[in-house]
Parts: sequence; structure tokens; C-alpha cells
Amino acid sequence: MPRLEQLAELQGHEDRVWCAAWHPTKPILATCSGDKTVRIWQATNAQDPTQWQCTGILEGAHKRTIRSVAWSPDGRQLATGSFDATTGIWEKDEDGNGDYECVATLEGHENETKSIAWSKSGALLATCSRDKSVWIWEVEEDNDFECLSVLQEHTQDVKMVAWHPTEELLASASYDDTIKIWRDDDDDWYCSDSLQGHDSTVWAIDFDPSGERIVSASADQTLKIWQRYKPGNPQGIVTPRRGEAVWKCVATVVGHHDRCIYSVSWSHAHGLVASAGADNTIRVFDIQDYDKEILTEEQIKATNEPGTLYQGVVLAATKNAHGTSDINSVAWYPSEEHGDWLASGGDDGFVRIWRIIRD
Amino acid sequence: MALSGALTLSDLNDFISPSQACIKPIEVAKTSDTAGAIKVDDTGAYYEVSVDGNETKLETATINLNDCLACSGCITSAESVLVTLQSQEELYNVLKQNKAAIEANDASTHRTVVVSISPQTRASFAAKYNQTPLQVAKKLTWFFKNLGVHFVFDTSFSRDLSLLESAREFVDRYKKAVAKGTIKMPSLDGSQSTASNTAATTGDGDMDLDAPQTKAPRKRIVRRGANSDEAAAPVEKESAIPMLASACPGWICYAEKTHGYILPYISDTKSPQQIMGSMVKNHLGSQLGLKPNQIYHVCVMPCYDKKLEASRSDFYSDLYSTRDVDCVITSTEVEKMFTEQGQTDMNVFGEMSLDNGYNSVVKDPVTGQDQALVGSSGNASGGFLEYIMRYAARELFGIAGVDVSRSLGVEVKTVRNSDFREVTLEVPGSDQPLLRFAAAYGFRNIQNLVRKVKTSKSPYHFVEVMACPSGCINGGGQLKQPASVPLKDWILHADQQYKNGVLERSPEENPALAQLYQEWLGGPDTLKARQQLRTQYHAVEQNLGNPLAVKW
Repeated sequence: MPRLEQLAELQGHEDRVWCAAWHPTKPILATCSGDKTVRIWQATNAQDPTQWQCTGILEGAHKRTIRSVAWSPDGRQLATGSFDATTGIWEKDEDGNGDYECVATLEGHENETKSIAWSKSGALLATCSRDKSVWIWEVEEDNDFECLSVLQEHTQDVKMVAWHPTEELLASASYDDTIKIWRDDDDDWYCSDSLQGHDSTVWAIDFDPSGERIVSASADQTLKIWQRYKPGNPQGIVTPRRGEAVWKCVATVVGHHDRCIYSVSWSHAHGLVASAGADNTIRVFDIQDYDKEILTEEQIKATNEPGTLYQGVVLAATKNAHGTSDINSVAWYPSEEHGDWLASGGDDGFVRIWRIIRD
Repeated sequence: MALSGALTLSDLNDFISPSQACIKPIEVAKTSDTAGAIKVDDTGAYYEVSVDGNETKLETATINLNDCLACSGCITSAESVLVTLQSQEELYNVLKQNKAAIEANDASTHRTVVVSISPQTRASFAAKYNQTPLQVAKKLTWFFKNLGVHFVFDTSFSRDLSLLESAREFVDRYKKAVAKGTIKMPSLDGSQSTASNTAATTGDGDMDLDAPQTKAPRKRIVRRGANSDEAAAPVEKESAIPMLASACPGWICYAEKTHGYILPYISDTKSPQQIMGSMVKNHLGSQLGLKPNQIYHVCVMPCYDKKLEASRSDFYSDLYSTRDVDCVITSTEVEKMFTEQGQTDMNVFGEMSLDNGYNSVVKDPVTGQDQALVGSSGNASGGFLEYIMRYAARELFGIAGVDVSRSLGVEVKTVRNSDFREVTLEVPGSDQPLLRFAAAYGFRNIQNLVRKVKTSKSPYHFVEVMACPSGCINGGGQLKQPASVPLKDWILHADQQYKNGVLERSPEENPALAQLYQEWLGGPDTLKARQQLRTQYHAVEQNLGNPLAVKW
């Protein structure tokens, strides 16, 4: 029977853990916390995934909680988004003592930075904040970051930003209950689509490995799956804006979480979706086709909606994964090498590493 | 004081910053330290009931314009407040009061009304109503004079003074910086100077950071937790390079609130609006035998931030209890006035010749027409970069004939996006840079500029900074395009109208300028010149004790 087996519990942070991020290619985990630090964790010995140690602490640069941490696609840099309104860029001092140093600080947000994300190419960095704006930065040589655009279409706190796995397309999730899709047209970035459907704050989003679907987690206790329909799509979904794709909700996973869902992760290794939040439970879903509602062409034309195409089948649900504490972040290992590993961070200040077992 | 209806129709966003609710904590004197109850009576007034039963009526918290300037929030919510203080209603009131004063034969309540119109407003009306800028100028003159306005002027005139003064300020700063050693002046003979030819200072003490900047052996500059607003060594304004343009109040307010360290870099020459204010109240006043408070000066501008500028305490005379500019109304508010006066079709307006005095008109040498508009060449945001480049090229390096709008003698490049341009003066015949200027419009480009200046990495000598993408022609108070026209096309159309039929004349060729400098100011470097043509900036302290700021 499928279940999540706990491999390790990592202690060290002195305040709640907000975010866990796997290195893109190595079994190294970065976690950030209300204790204003980032901790780097590695398995003590490569064969035994139950023994981990903290091999680095990034500290001293931020004056408040670090809310979000992300590795650059080449694994050489870390970005940290902090409640002190800045984003720090860190590098390992290979020539010196092997410590991580803050090599740049991106300022500009008016208040707490909530999330940061690197684009797949590593050329762009997105940051978002309670000031309702999303900023897009271009990475230049010499650790200089140039502000490309300041996007102010959300009407409330922006909780998360996530890049498409291959294209330079950005998605953002907000307290205004929408997800917005951003693209660039040579001169500036603009909002290409605004996804409405959730009844409350959208806390987290993640793209599927193909980039054609987005899963979103919300305070309305549901997960939604959105699918992209490009202009001229065979299903006949109308794309009103010239050249712009639309995203339609094609599934709602409801009735499982009974509190806010704070984090969601779509595995690139096996396609399972993990979610967790205020109900202290980590759930793993398999997204399967839903063939009970095949709409006819006329029905699609009439509503301009594709209908429900998928269902989320619960594979595993681990209650009290962090005791009685909220779980703030879940993250699948990014590649097939350890694709069954899942990291989680919670309000109890612990980080846990799990393995999905699917007999 | 009625709320200006025009504002509710237009977008309040002046592009400068994310809008945010006003968080200004109101300081109200507490009557007692012990907690009492709050009682609301049936008129809606609030009373504090202290423990011994006494009721004290509580003041309603109000925010006036100057409070808004002190708030560490945004500019856009300030606009909703300033609207109650500056609108066409105020102008109507003054004109009505004048009529009453004439009937009662009471000179003491009569004020001479002057309206100064910006060329951007002129272009906006020309674009929307299919007129030439000259026709618009004549029609607006007719319209305002019919209402009882005494003089109608053009801020292109005062802009000449602003441009010339800014250019002189730049050359002065540049020379002082060279003398100080903070920049190296490249030589014309093409010999390579040992230091870089750019204005970037490396660790000279202008902007110091928490950690020393290490260059070799690593390629990167490492700054530990570089996140400080304070500069270790204060920057001297007189030699601060790059010099940043000062005409845009949106930029000034943002810099004062969020980037106090950059204030010494900003030029302290007044904007065309405020120089017109000084001229009207001080020079015109003395010529007409009127005290400054006997003149009511209205400016018609393309944006709302100009209202904030007019109400700065630096532009208020304590002696006469009057402002240099009493009221700013926008292009859209003037259009509203047309409707309010029952005259919606500009095509049937009458035309009046433009007033002598502060108008930029000449006899057209080609057509012989009596009043043709003239103005400095340069784009619709005032042409500061253009003129200063031309002036500095001549004064510093003896290179004449530089024309930025025609790319003569300079290399003009669009960098990164259409709102960021670089203009480089090169040694004639080579590509070695002598002066590097830039124009940065819009919030994202201002961000990049400010960051570079803060870390002493800015390669420019002068930057024309404007808050609005596409500059003043696209100001928040300009007339809106018809629904069918895309914004980009509309901006282009208005931009073309800006120069339509306007003859080019360099500020130095304006005969009135020399006269003004001599008769009014007593010379270009006198104390009076300094008082009338220059201003200062004030960093706003962030109120960290704000009880509304929530710590997570």
C-alpha cells in the first residue's frame, strides 16, 4: 500500500522552517527559517539516506525572517527572499573557507518579499512581495542584477512566483485569489492571463514537467489544475487575446485537506503531486485522467470550458507529519536519481525527508 | 471645496510606485494617559469619555498635503488629498471673488490671475482636437480670458531659463569634480588617459559600503550583507556626478521618501513650472506694482504630481503668505472646464493673440506670420539631456553643433528598453567617449539607475530622469485617447503634435533671458539668482514607530 516513509528528521533551525529547496543536481537540501538563516543539509554518506548533517549556514545578511530560498539552475548560487524586503544572492567561497557569502542584495520591494524563483535558463530572477508587485530581474555578469520590469497587476499580497520549466513564462499566486501569467514582448513584461476560480488566497503553484499544466494550492482547501490552451487549439477553446494562450481549470481536488493548503510540488520524476498545509497532513496525489465527463464540441463551445479532465487520487496521507504544526513547504527531489524523496518544513522548526513507497 | 470630478475619471496611477494605503500615523495629543471609552453621538462625532466621566470631543484625523509628502507610503494616495486643495474649482472661486471685488470697488480682495500653460498640455489638446499647437495656444488664451483671467503664458518660456541654469550647473559640477579628482576629464587629442573615461568612481569615498570593494584576484565584487541606506562619506552636491534631472516631481518625491542618499546628485535648478512661479510672483509682480499675494498663479500641467510640487514649503513665501504657484490643474481638468462652461467643441472657439511677456513667440521669418511658436529643441519631457549635452560639449570641449535629436555629433542608443537611452559624446573622428548621458523613464529604469548610483557604478555624467514611461507627453493628467486607438499610437501622435509648427530656438537665443538675468536677478551668479532659480530637497525620515506596520 503506498505510503510516505520518514527517512530523516533534521534539527537545527531555531524558528519555523518556511521553505525547503533541493539542489538541482546533487542530494543537497537548502532550508530557510524565521531564525534569519538558511541551512544546507547533505546526507552524511551517499548510500544511507537516513543520516544527514548540516554542512553550511547562510547568515548575517538578512535582518528578518528568510521566507523563501531557491537554487540557481546551475546550482552555484542561492537566492533568499526575506521579510526585510530584500533578496540576497549567495555563492560558495570556493577559494576561501567554503562558506557561503552574500554577493549581492536586490532592493526595491516596499515590504516583505514572499517568494523568489530562477528561470530555467538562469538568466532571470523573479521576486514578489506583500507590496502586490512582481519584479523581474536579469542576471548580469559581475553579480549585478538589472531590474527588467515591475509588474503591478495583482491587487493584493503576492505569495509565490514560479517559472515555466522551459520557457520564459512566469506564474504568480496571490491573496487576491488569482494566478497571473506573465510574458514579455521585447520591450516590457505584461500580464498574459489571469486565472480565476479559487475562492480564497492562492498560496502556492507549481508547473508540471511538460509546462502545459499548473497545480495551485489555496486557502479554500482545494488544489486546482489548470491547462494551457494555445490559439488554434484542437479542443476549440477560444483565445480572446491575439497570440495569447489561455489557461483553464481542468480539475479541482476537493474534500481532502480541511485547512489551508500552503505548499504544492509536482514531481518531475514520476508526476505525483504532494501538498501540505495547515491541517498538518502531507498528501500525495496521482493525477489521473477523468473520463466520466467527456464534453461534446457543442458543450465546449457553449461554455468555453474544457470540463473536468483529471482527478487527484490520494496515494498517501501522512497526518501530523510535523506534529501539531503547520507544514509550510513540500518539495520533491528534482530528478529521477532520488525521485522518491520528498522534503518538508514546518512550524515546528524541523525539516523532514520522506520517501514515497508505492508497492 | 469640491472634489475635482476629472480625477475620478482618470487613472490615479502615476506609474511611480506600487500604490499602497496611506499609513501616515496621525499624531494626536492624548488628553490623558488612562484609558477611557469612546462614545459616538448621533451626529457622528467621537468623544473620549475618561474614567471620571468627562467627555472630550476628539479631532477628526486629517491628512493635509504636507503630511502626505512626509508619509513613507506612496504618491498616488496623496493625489486624492491634494485634489481637495487644487482644482479648477479654486480658479472659479478666485475669478468670482474678483468679480465681486470689482463690483464693490475693493482692490484689496482682487487678484491678478495668471495662467501658465505647459507645451505638453498644448500638444495633448492639439492631438485630441486636431488643431495645431499654435491654434490651441490662441484658443486657450481666448477661453481663459473670457473667464476673467488676465494673462496667459507658456512655460516653454520659463523652461529656457531652467535649461540654461541646469546646463550651467552641470558644467560647474563637472569642473569641480575634475578639480577634486573624482572624475577624469578625457582629452580631445585622443590620448588614452590612464583611468577610465567614464564617471564611475572606484572607492573614492563618494559612496562607501559596509565592506571594502575587492577587485583582484576574484572577478566578483563581494559585499557582505550589502543592504545599507547610509553612505559612509557624505556626497558633496557641488561636485556630485552623475547629475540627475530635477524637473519631474514624481521622481523627486520618490527619491526623498525612499532614496535619501541620492538627493545630493539631483540638480537643484527649479523646474520650468517653479521658475515661472518665481517670475510671475516676483518679476511680473514688481513690473505691475503688485505684491506676490495679489497675483493668483495657475499652471496647466500634464500630470498630478505637479500639484505636489507647487505645494512644497520651499516654494512658499512666508513673507507674503503666498505660493509661487497657487494652483495646478491638469489637461483633463481644463477639458472638464470646457464642459462646465458649456463649450465642448474646441473647433468653434475664438482665438486671441498670445500675451507679450512670458510667451515664446516670434515673427515667423518664412511666412511673416506675427506670432509663431518657438521652443528649445528636445523631446516632450523638456529636453534637458539635449540642451545640457549641447551646452557642455561646447563649454567643456569646444565642440559645437551637437544636436541630440538629429544624432549629430553624438551616438544615441536605446539600451534594454525604449524608456532607457544612452547619448554619448565622442571625440570627433573616434569612438572614445567624452561625455556619457542617459535618459531613464519609468519605475523599472529608475530602480536600475538608483542602484547603480548607490554602488558608485553609474557610468553616466548626467541622467534625465522621468517617472512616467514615455515621459511627460504620457503624463497621468493628459487627455485620454479615444477607445479605438492603442496607447502607443496615441503617445506617438501627441508627441508629433508637440513639435508641430514650433520653430527651434536655443535658450541662449531667447533675447528676454539675458534681460531677465540682468534686470531681474542682477547677474547669473548673484544671491537673488540663487534664491529664484534654485531649490533644495529633503530626505523623509521613515517612521519606524508606525503601529500599523505589522511584524510577522
